[in-house]
Amino acid sequence: MNPVLAADITLPHINYGAIAPILILLGMACVGVLAEAFLPRTLRYPVQVLVSLVAQVAGLATIIGLALSNYAKKPTLTAGDALAVDGPGLFLQGAVLVLGIVATLLIAERSVERGGAFVAQAAVTAGSEADAEQARRQPSQTEIFPLSLFALGGMMLFVSANDLLTMFVALEVFSLPLYLMCALARRRRLLSQEAAVKYFLLGAFSSAFFVYGIAMLYGFAGSVKFHDIAVAAISSGKSDLLMFIGLAMLAIGLLFKAAAVPFHVWTPDVYQGAPTPVTALMASCTKVAAFGGILRIFYVAFLDSRWDWRPVIGVIAVLTMVIGAILAVTQTDIKRLLAYSSIANAGYVLTGVLAMQKDGISSSLFYLVTYGFTVLAAFGLVTLVRDQDGEATHLSRWAGLGRKAPVLAGVFTFLMLSFAGIPLTSGFTGKFAVFSAALGGGQTTLVIFGVLSSVLLAFPYLRVVVLMYLQEPAADAPTVAVPGALTSAALAIGAIVTLLLGVWPSVLLDVANSAAQFVG
Amino acid sequence: MSGYLGSYATLGILLVVGVVLFGAAFAGNRLLRPHRPDPGKLTTYESGVDPVGGDWAQAEIRYYVFAYLYVLFAVESVFLFPWALVFARPGFGTTTLVEMAVFVAVLLLGLLYAWRKGVLRWT
Amino acid sequence: MTPTYYLVLSAALFCVGAVGVLIRRNAIVVFMSVELMLNAGNLALVTFARINGSLDGQIMAFFVMVVAAAEVVVGLAIIMSIFRTRRSASVDDSNLLKY
Repeated sequence: MNPVLAADITLPHINYGAIAPILILLGMACVGVLAEAFLPRTLRYPVQVLVSLVAQVAGLATIIGLALSNYAKKPTLTAGDALAVDGPGLFLQGAVLVLGIVATLLIAERSVERGGAFVAQAAVTAGSEADAEQARRQPSQTEIFPLSLFALGGMMLFVSANDLLTMFVALEVFSLPLYLMCALARRRRLLSQEAAVKYFLLGAFSSAFFVYGIAMLYGFAGSVKFHDIAVAAISSGKSDLLMFIGLAMLAIGLLFKAAAVPFHVWTPDVYQGAPTPVTALMASCTKVAAFGGILRIFYVAFLDSRWDWRPVIGVIAVLTMVIGAILAVTQTDIKRLLAYSSIANAGYVLTGVLAMQKDGISSSLFYLVTYGFTVLAAFGLVTLVRDQDGEATHLSRWAGLGRKAPVLAGVFTFLMLSFAGIPLTSGFTGKFAVFSAALGGGQTTLVIFGVLSSVLLAFPYLRVVVLMYLQEPAADAPTVAVPGALTSAALAIGAIVTLLLGVWPSVLLDVANSAAQFVG
Repeated sequence: MSGYLGSYATLGILLVVGVVLFGAAFAGNRLLRPHRPDPGKLTTYESGVDPVGGDWAQAEIRYYVFAYLYVLFAVESVFLFPWALVFARPGFGTTTLVEMAVFVAVLLLGLLYAWRKGVLRWT
Repeated sequence: MTPTYYLVLSAALFCVGAVGVLIRRNAIVVFMSVELMLNAGNLALVTFARINGSLDGQIMAFFVMVVAAAEVVVGLAIIMSIFRTRRSASVDDSNLLKY
């Protein structure tokens, strides 16, 4: 009746040094909450920006320190095997933070839209008199900064989680702040709230599948640690049924976050409705985190059963690439176009993941970083094209921008070329890396579909370029705001990294290669 | 009253006795009491105050904020019980105590934030 | 009574919840269905804890409960904010974003 006595429980050892980056982020988020509670209103913005950037830079420095002190070579498990500090984990944590810093610059911008892109008081009814007043006068609320720190901390926890329970808790730690951040747009608040409701309901739905998957795998293996699941999977005499049900349900939860077809339906709506800096954060950091989790689950827990599930995930990858590309062609809104392109890009990363060998890991890691920087810069530019109602996101409004704002149009063209995979951009090197890894892993069909879909996907990108240069601007064409220092910095970083990784990919590819070994 | 189902028989008899007693009490009440209804007697009883509005009135939004806070803190306390079982054992001691203090401190931080934002004030 | 029956019950609850999410219109009811699915997961966890003879499953159920409570708070706050504007919690009314 009493299978385990409490006396059997031992206190797990926690290597605080190895998980310091996560602790720094979450601790500084708590500092941010305190600052929000006790500082006078005028001081909050500078303090929050400072806390947010200091936390991320300190976290990044700690990660680099850990990587140099051989944690990448000699990986460890800590906190009762709940967390893994290994090469891919550190790389992904670093990627989340690097992209997070750039996204924070976009979030902190206050000169493009006077007072910032976020609502002053989210509790005021949208569309009311008080709401119009606060949209005109009051500066953004600053809760967005602690929220984004919690989200980033959760993502870092997620990519280093070594058991399913930790992974689930981390999934919610980064999802819940994101749901709220989606609802905080200053303009078009109803749209933003609608996006948040959709994201929340579908996100909760998918995490319910994740929980049930955990339960099934616990029933199968008697433990939720990845290593134990891997051992149970190769031992004979266990019914595989529970394992496959569990794996399928876990995959639903993870592929939802990664926005893979057929779990992608939320993506365009949420990307369009959310405030653009938050969209940038979701498109870059959330994608890194989601694929970090997918990589770890597939490569650590289910490596030996790959012959059974690889075809299924392969079909999902093909669907994701093809449907994402086809639907991108039909879009008339720049944010929705970028959303469908992010769906197709999820398919390319999945292709790299399915190589199921070492360069599959490194190429996926590399692709995630290249895509993250490019998409951050692209959404950063979207915030600059404005008319009286805020951002002018309809494609027809972008006609003739090449003449009105040659610099913006030039940078945007460069980013579009990168998305289309033209050589000398990071989009090309990234696609080359994942496709060659997939070829090496014997996934020729996937690569064929990948190349076809990227050809198809080049069309909507080039259409935007044609629109900007070859069409006459409308009489009431939107103005292009002068970017403030923060946005300029974010755009410059995004564009320069896109170029740098395009001409000199080995800088990052070598790091990714040396990091590509999971701890079992 | 023995055998495999014996204890169930006791339960059954108890149930029957209960139902009979209940029925008898209400039947006796019905036979003995006077029966003179009037509108005042048929309205909802609200502690002697005249009832206001329909019975499907919406609850105040303010209750719901308090309910949120309560739910969060009540549910978080679930971790205190397993902790209370082991923290006095050898090998746990101070570390465990400090860890739980950190956990409670984070919860307190949330409460502090709610207080500073004026959520706890009944305006 | 074998624990298998509890697994069947939990699967049934999960399906009821999933169907509820898919066919109900009111955001609050949709959300309640999600909670039902999470609790079906909890039931499965506790049952497997009994079958496997370890306590891990029960502890995991605690974690899922706590996370679900946090989710309730965030979710209802979002639903309330849109309800204030729309005076409706029907998910069919959320139709500004499409294609």
